[in-house]
Amino acid sequence: MIGKKHIETLRKGIKFILILLVIDFSLGYITKQFFYSQETGKYARSTQAIKETEAEILILGSSHAHRHYVPEVIEKELGKSCYNAGAEGQQLVYHLALLDMILKRYTPKTIILNIDEDFLLEFEEAYSRLSDLHPYYDEYSKELKPVLGLRSNFVDVKLFFHLYQMNSTIMHIIRYGASPQVDYKGYRPLFGTIKKSNDQRHKEDNNRENRGDVIDQNFVNTLKNIIITVKKKNINLVFVTSPSYNEVDHSKNISFSKIKEIIRAENVSFIDFINNPDFIHKNELFHDPSHLNDSGSKLFSKQVAQRIRRIHSGE
Amino acid sequence: MLFNSFDFLIFLVVVFLIYWYIVPKSRKLQNILLLVASYVFYGWWDWRFLSLIAVSTIVDYTVGLRIYKSDTKIIRKRWLYLSVLFNLGLLGFFKYFNFFMDSWIDLLASVGYNSQSTWALQVILPVGISFYTFQTLSYSIDIYRKKLIPTSDFIAFGAFVSFFPQLVAGPIERATNLIPQFLHERKFQKLCITSGCKMMIWGFFLKLVVADRAAIYVNAVYNNIENHEGLTFIAATVLFAFQIYGDFAGYSLIAIGTAKLFGFDLMTNFRRPYFAASVSEFWSRWHISLSTWFRDYLYIPLGGNRVAKPRWFFNLFITFLISGLWHGANWTFVVWGGLNGIYLILEILLFKKERKGLFNILSTFILINFAWIFFRAASIEQALYIVKTIFMTPGSLFIGSGDDVTASLYATLAIFILVLVELKKEYFATLFSISKHKLEFVRMAGYAIVVCMILYFGVFGKGQFIYFQF
Repeated sequence: MIGKKHIETLRKGIKFILILLVIDFSLGYITKQFFYSQETGKYARSTQAIKETEAEILILGSSHAHRHYVPEVIEKELGKSCYNAGAEGQQLVYHLALLDMILKRYTPKTIILNIDEDFLLEFEEAYSRLSDLHPYYDEYSKELKPVLGLRSNFVDVKLFFHLYQMNSTIMHIIRYGASPQVDYKGYRPLFGTIKKSNDQRHKEDNNRENRGDVIDQNFVNTLKNIIITVKKKNINLVFVTSPSYNEVDHSKNISFSKIKEIIRAENVSFIDFINNPDFIHKNELFHDPSHLNDSGSKLFSKQVAQRIRRIHSGE
Repeated sequence: MLFNSFDFLIFLVVVFLIYWYIVPKSRKLQNILLLVASYVFYGWWDWRFLSLIAVSTIVDYTVGLRIYKSDTKIIRKRWLYLSVLFNLGLLGFFKYFNFFMDSWIDLLASVGYNSQSTWALQVILPVGISFYTFQTLSYSIDIYRKKLIPTSDFIAFGAFVSFFPQLVAGPIERATNLIPQFLHERKFQKLCITSGCKMMIWGFFLKLVVADRAAIYVNAVYNNIENHEGLTFIAATVLFAFQIYGDFAGYSLIAIGTAKLFGFDLMTNFRRPYFAASVSEFWSRWHISLSTWFRDYLYIPLGGNRVAKPRWFFNLFITFLISGLWHGANWTFVVWGGLNGIYLILEILLFKKERKGLFNILSTFILINFAWIFFRAASIEQALYIVKTIFMTPGSLFIGSGDDVTASLYATLAIFILVLVELKKEYFATLFSISKHKLEFVRMAGYAIVVCMILYFGVFGKGQFIYFQF
């Protein structure tokens, strides 16, 4: 049945695949060296969190975590080392995976998870942005597979290719190699204040990300898994919401209601800064309606640290 | 099922193995396999659409035989009308019903009569409907014109209508080319398999590296036009020119390559169109299967260029207007088609000799890009705003913020590689060629590097082919 031509074609196919694998392995190895040589930028920060930091307090969350928590202020207030592992644009699924990778190496004493009110709403980008974790797949496949497998049945096959793992990293490496992106233990300050004339526009900008209005059950499970994982390791877990520039009515936000329901059920410490009068309409503390500037972040970090101290001392 | 999905890769391998290793000797069984595979491929989007394709197959199969067997011209014509009405009716209902209703209401509103649309339908546009209706139409028309003898092999005809490599985004094949290939035995040819794979690899590069990278910048600009200025619109439009080329030429190459794996030859759909030195040359290089379709089934029946000059220009203009409308149910596409028609008429009036050279290539590229603004913009108002901003407020160039910057850098790099490759193919074809190198290792390593570039630079998990909406 199988003729000479078929065998010849098969031979060629195998030869091609072998050449492809050799090139992929070689270039993959080189690009991985470049990847781990980064000193600044988002990948350098995630590598720092996964492979190096031994901070007692670890901060997780999206850009609100990344831009609002000043480790130096928290360290000064609580007398414990701190690292900000917040990542811009990343959601709960990313942070569960990141947490699993970090816990494989060491156990922090306290984890602060900055909660975005919409964390549980459907948001497809939350899955596609998980590609930021692909470069770590070789070493952390066990931790990453459950999360990456939420949207793909072929994680192992796709990530078998080393260059696919390193997809879209080179420009980032070149860019931040040429022009380093300074951070302070993971925290990157925002400068400048809100202009009063733009208040109205900012009000509309408050919810920029295009989310659905339905809860994604994967995100609910992820939040619960974060709590379970942290409790198993006897780590203090604190959920915090960041201040907002405008007053926000969250009574009809199904995501936030669900988060609060989980917090109550799991008995997690919760510090709520939404609509906090110290921050509402304080132009000098905000870079934009959703993000504090450096002064705002320092004030916020100090207040969060003080509240954590009170929680831990049982006040 | 998307070509750029893992599902397709598995599907293709399974169908390929069954085709050549389980039923290699039986043409009939191979056709049945292709028919079933094509329905699975199409049903992967929405199984309900399968009924449309099945009905379309039955109608045109019957019409073809009836036309052929009818002796009188009137009867033949009636059967042809049935096919035309059915196919265009299908297209009109699913693609244009809401558009024409809304346009009618807007027209009434413009003369002061406001009415609410109670006719708007929640119709989903079936993927690829514009492609397979045109393909089956050409079958009936060619039989009517006695250019083709209808096939009585229903399976072969069904496989021709639904042939999965080109079902949803072309090339729009002619029955005269494709049906005979279903009726004759296909032989396993090493050369076909390797050239098919090479085409697919380059097609994926065009789609995943060029088109989808460029799309990130293009979407960031065109979806937020109020925040951008002239220079940015120019950059986004040039990137869109490469996005749509990479997207569509990429799809066509993957389709042609996939068909080759099964022993089929599909027509070439793109021949480096941005090296055209005139708009007429551009249209002989861009979406060739569609432009020749319109030439053969609309422009020539209207009289083509063998009529008085005013009528000739009318024929050209109307062909391009309809071609524009074929691309989408929006006035932006009609204007895009109209602009191309005007370009061609002006070319005929202004230039008597064939145009060549870098200046003409660049000026053609600029004209084509100007038309792309209307193609890409969401509305005529948006397109006019963009044109006005380009001329009145050049401003500064937006290069993105954060990770967007790297996206535009990737797009630039990918386009640079594409232009280099196409430049070589266009002007230095006889020069050193990796794909034709005498050493097998060099040839294989060359294509392995392209695969590696796709893995390293490609955009995965998002991009749907633009032409699916047409």
